[in-house]
Amino acid sequence: MADVKKGDTVVTVGTRKGLFLFHSRDRRRWASRGPYFAGDAVRHAILDPRDGKTIYAGITSEHWGAIVSRSTDFGGKWTEGKEGPRFPKESGLSITRIWQVQAGQDDDLYIGTEPAGLFRSTDRGNTWESVKGLNAYPEREKWNPGNGGLCLHTILPYPGDAKRMLVGISAAGVFATNDGGKSWRMYDKGVRYYGQKKTYAKEDLGTCVHKMVRDARDPAMVYMQNHAGMHRRKRGDDGWTIIEKGLPIAKSTLGTFGFPLAAHPHDAKTVYSVPLEGDYNRVVPNGAMAVYRTTNGGKQWDRLTRGLPQKNAYYTILRDGMRTDTNDPAGVYVGTLTGELYFSRNDGDSWALMADNLPGIQSVEAGIAGDQ
Amino acid sequence: MAEGARVQVSVPHALREYTKGAENVTVKARTLAQAVQALEAMFPGIGYRLLDDQGRMRRYVVVLVNEDPVGDLDPAAVALRDGDTVHLLPSTAGG
Repeated sequence: MADVKKGDTVVTVGTRKGLFLFHSRDRRRWASRGPYFAGDAVRHAILDPRDGKTIYAGITSEHWGAIVSRSTDFGGKWTEGKEGPRFPKESGLSITRIWQVQAGQDDDLYIGTEPAGLFRSTDRGNTWESVKGLNAYPEREKWNPGNGGLCLHTILPYPGDAKRMLVGISAAGVFATNDGGKSWRMYDKGVRYYGQKKTYAKEDLGTCVHKMVRDARDPAMVYMQNHAGMHRRKRGDDGWTIIEKGLPIAKSTLGTFGFPLAAHPHDAKTVYSVPLEGDYNRVVPNGAMAVYRTTNGGKQWDRLTRGLPQKNAYYTILRDGMRTDTNDPAGVYVGTLTGELYFSRNDGDSWALMADNLPGIQSVEAGIAGDQ
Repeated sequence: MAEGARVQVSVPHALREYTKGAENVTVKARTLAQAVQALEAMFPGIGYRLLDDQGRMRRYVVVLVNEDPVGDLDPAAVALRDGDTVHLLPSTAGG
């Protein structure tokens, strides 16, 4: 098995039947490892960008519960947390799945769960604390599940400010904190209503956020793929703005339908998406795989297809199925529910197949290996 | 070994990494809840795999005491007697 060396690009691929790791020095030839946790769903796994060495995997066994494991030697040895995350007993809730793992500021580590919940660890995932301000939100009983369940799937810390964070819950909406998680408010004004031209007139419950990312240069700017369309909002804006010029529009929602979003790691206003035909048929339109890219904050989206199959490719890409690395030019990685993993070495201009025949891909993350 | 009935616990394949491969483990416990606690004391981490956040047996875990299904009951209310066998099984669900 090839060693992972400092500077290698490492891609963590969470699938329905385990975790796979890919690594490469030149992003042309890739070595793979795994599957780890074979048979269990790994919805999300990250290479901690703070050390480039620790991989955290959120593993869900439908029988035996959900837990976070970590490895500091690229899969040689895995260590489960001493305790798994649990809702407080008085909540009446019980975690069934881990949807998201996210490095916070300093030593914090966060997970998003189903039923929707946010948990924080300050000891590398050994023990977990329920973020009560969100998990016991006053109107929690009004949170309705989306098609995939009531899940907290997106955690966006604010770089350099541990007090600020956004989270996305399907299908309750976007929640924001400015006080380190003690209190939360809705952040949905301006989101399109399903199948209508009108938008939410106030910050309110009930939008179905699919994925959000922060702009590489301006973290106060956030892009959101919602069930009802593509939006953008900067802190201080009155609400979200719809940004869909150049994107295909679904007949049912009247907006662009899709799940994944990825931000370029360095370039401002540059974001990638993979639209699907619609919520009635969650595959790429017309059997032609395409990644869309904006370089101007969503004023215009361009269709990227070089190297991607244009016939009989009825792919589904889930909300965490696309990510960028931090190289220059940036690598972009897309994994499908039918087990294909595509990559670009040049900001998405052209693509190649890294692997296929994988189990259904739930998530793709990419990072750079640090000191070993 | 603590006070209580002497019972055998049949460990499912998926959890034998906690018991270092042991398929059957003997514990002393008066109730199913105590049996899980005893297992956790012997094999840290296994308790999390069996009990949900509300202290009930996980939804897709089938629990039989001898031949009686008890997985839906409050584990603290499931009494155990000397010679009982607690079978822990994954339910036949999944994909």
